[in-house]
Amino acid sequence: MSQPRMGLWATEEIDEELQDVDVNLAIGNYGQNGMYDEAQSRLAEATLVAVQQQMAQQAAFSQIPDVVKRFLVHFHQAVLDNNLAEITVAYESGWNRLTEKYYAKTEWPEAEVIAPLVNDDQLFLILYRELYYRHVYSRLQPDIDDRFHSYENSCELFNYLLNSDGPVPLELPEQWLWDIVDEFIYQFQSFCVWRSKVKAKSDEELAMLADGGQVWSAYSVLNVLYSLIQKSKINDYILAHQEGRSEAELAEIAGEYGARPLYRMLGYFSLIGLLRVHVLLGDFTLALKVMDGVELNQKTPFTRVTACHVATYYYVGFCYIMLRRYPDAIRSFVSVLNFILRMRQYHTRSYQYDQINKTADRMYALFAICNALSPSRLDDNIANIVKDRYGDQFAKMSRGEEGIPAFEELFLYACPKFINANPPPYEDADQLAVYAEEVPGEPAQRHLGLFLSDVRAQAAVPTLRSFLKLYTSLDATKLAGFLDADEEEMVQQMMAVKAASRSVSRVGSEKSLLGGQMISTSDMDFVIKENMVHISESTVGRRFAGWFIRNTEHAQRVLDGVKNSPLPPVLQAPPQSGAPAESEGKPVQPPKKVAWASKASA
Amino acid sequence: MSSATSDWVTPPTRPELIENLVSGVDRYNPSNVGILEDYLYHQIRSREYDCLANLAILKLYQFNHDLYNPDVIVNILVKALTSVPFPDFNLSIALLDERVSTANLDEPDPLPTLLPHLTSLHSLLQQCRFPAFWVFYRSDELESLRDNYTVEVVGFEDAIRDVAVRAVKATFQRIGSKRLSSYLDLEGPELEEYVAKLGWKFDASTGVIELPPNPDNQITSTIVQEDIKLPQLSKVISHAISAA
Repeated sequence: MSQPRMGLWATEEIDEELQDVDVNLAIGNYGQNGMYDEAQSRLAEATLVAVQQQMAQQAAFSQIPDVVKRFLVHFHQAVLDNNLAEITVAYESGWNRLTEKYYAKTEWPEAEVIAPLVNDDQLFLILYRELYYRHVYSRLQPDIDDRFHSYENSCELFNYLLNSDGPVPLELPEQWLWDIVDEFIYQFQSFCVWRSKVKAKSDEELAMLADGGQVWSAYSVLNVLYSLIQKSKINDYILAHQEGRSEAELAEIAGEYGARPLYRMLGYFSLIGLLRVHVLLGDFTLALKVMDGVELNQKTPFTRVTACHVATYYYVGFCYIMLRRYPDAIRSFVSVLNFILRMRQYHTRSYQYDQINKTADRMYALFAICNALSPSRLDDNIANIVKDRYGDQFAKMSRGEEGIPAFEELFLYACPKFINANPPPYEDADQLAVYAEEVPGEPAQRHLGLFLSDVRAQAAVPTLRSFLKLYTSLDATKLAGFLDADEEEMVQQMMAVKAASRSVSRVGSEKSLLGGQMISTSDMDFVIKENMVHISESTVGRRFAGWFIRNTEHAQRVLDGVKNSPLPPVLQAPPQSGAPAESEGKPVQPPKKVAWASKASA
Repeated sequence: MSSATSDWVTPPTRPELIENLVSGVDRYNPSNVGILEDYLYHQIRSREYDCLANLAILKLYQFNHDLYNPDVIVNILVKALTSVPFPDFNLSIALLDERVSTANLDEPDPLPTLLPHLTSLHSLLQQCRFPAFWVFYRSDELESLRDNYTVEVVGFEDAIRDVAVRAVKATFQRIGSKRLSSYLDLEGPELEEYVAKLGWKFDASTGVIELPPNPDNQITSTIVQEDIKLPQLSKVISHAISAA
């Protein structure tokens, strides 16, 4: 196993060594000697530029700390060897440690600069740029060149994967594959948002956008995702997997591409990517339709990448909200929020933990919205957390019309970052001027408006329900009197109340995410006979089981913990060699010595 | 019980050609827009409805502004009105990007005027304010919508009545004929005929209409008891075994 190698850039040892590197030594000699003028006159312009570039690159190269150089050499070797364990360590740990240390506020060295370190390996340089741009997007402000180049680089990567002679023999960790797809869509979304802001663009930017063509177009992004899905035959694979086919059959069905983990995972992640892109573009039915084959549960092999798992449920849940299927949305959020609560202890050190936490918080907000529109008692645990975080808003939202601002606040906070499918008319200066005069509303506002129209349609529901709860039968005229409302209008509102207590929901047998049956979502029901309202209420007995089960499990854990702890040390006795063998969840401190860098730690 | 959405996802009347378009990547091919538009006009003529196929048209418009055809959009929205309480109308609007190019239209774009009207009609239906719907629908303001669009949609008014019927069926066991008349915008013999067709009983002496029982207009008080399923206990039990 390669675990021990984690050490070098994961520890603090490198500090000392950093001081040994004199970055000034290597720069400064170029272009400053007396021969310069003479040389220049003899050089053609192009050559001069090339030389200058080379010199600049050499200067940049010399500024790279040695530890970074060694990291890259090692990283490259790991990729060449398809050594997943080492790639994972370099990817998840090394890259981030070195980013914190040297590149927290600047770019990593450009790929051209580090090319000599990796023998000009084009594939590795593409992967390197993938990381390079992701770092620019997450830590710095990408300029227009970054945006265009990151698109080109993504295209090169996908082109290499999809259009080589047969499947490429590359292997990458699942997490990285997810991040590639995830980042691709993020950069697309980020570009669309940036592009939609016509004002504050420089002339150069306007010119580049005018002939940007297919750069980050919705069609090109969809094309990549669909190609990965088709190449990997992921839908066939999932279906066969659900049918319980044997490994050999699965490999046969998946074909030469899909049989390789790299393509299979990329195919699956592209399905989730499509789900996300369709949501961003406001197509909630298509979003769920592409997920038709996917079984949403926590036992599929695809849940190993937590970020993917969380994103899936977030977007599926959100689609259900826009389809007015609140019980399904609630179920989706509850399921993944419980998952996150359980996973929390294993994820605190992960660099995606922040992101997962932010998404989780959004889902708590969406849960509050759904629960206000369609009260349920699905999960007390989650409901309590929601009360903690969004208690104020929840109380307002449960009061109908006056809660609209609270709905608005939570929706805008928790909704996906919607985009427009098309750019402003950059190619036509006149139209662009017209456009800039009257910039259309942001897509999020449009979706908010649609959502609020659903909310308004059932604004009268909470008040009417609270009255009905007090009676078993009640004359409509009397009820209208209580409400100081017109009787006929009130009766019509009653039909809206009825509609609000019905919803399409997946009851269990439906395989497809769009499937479902009509269910009743309210514990209070009523019917009108001519002018008399008859009311009945279903009471739900108090739930004890969850509480007892949780506490029994907790007690078992505590008891195990007590049983397994070492006996209290006897005074002056030698330390016990047989310390508890397992220490759950805490990684054993890795040995620090690393073969290829022994002189550094010596 | 059959799924409540299977007809919505795949209407039995959908031809295979359309099914292939809706379910495959060919739905992104702009040159297929004509096929889908023809299918929409077929739906309009023959009282059929296929929400997903119509959304596929809007998707193509979203990506290709030069295809934009406001008449088609209005027709899609008119058809979507008839599916309340399902969310089709809002799902369609969600795909209409804000930017609308008027460059290659010969006539003024009718959509900016009609869209607010259609949205108001939709929200009246959503709130079950059927009498107000009929008043607004028949108003002078909506003349152009009626004369240019809904008149072409065969059975449009009956389809709206179906929306009202769905709401009434769920809420009432008995309903006064005057009230129902205002919901369906039908009177006298017309109303009686319509009620008879639905299989509802009209008592001429009292003027009250009786609705047959259905899952939504029957109410019972129940007490739901907690059910504990074995998997919930799996951790506790397996631990007990491993500890033994």
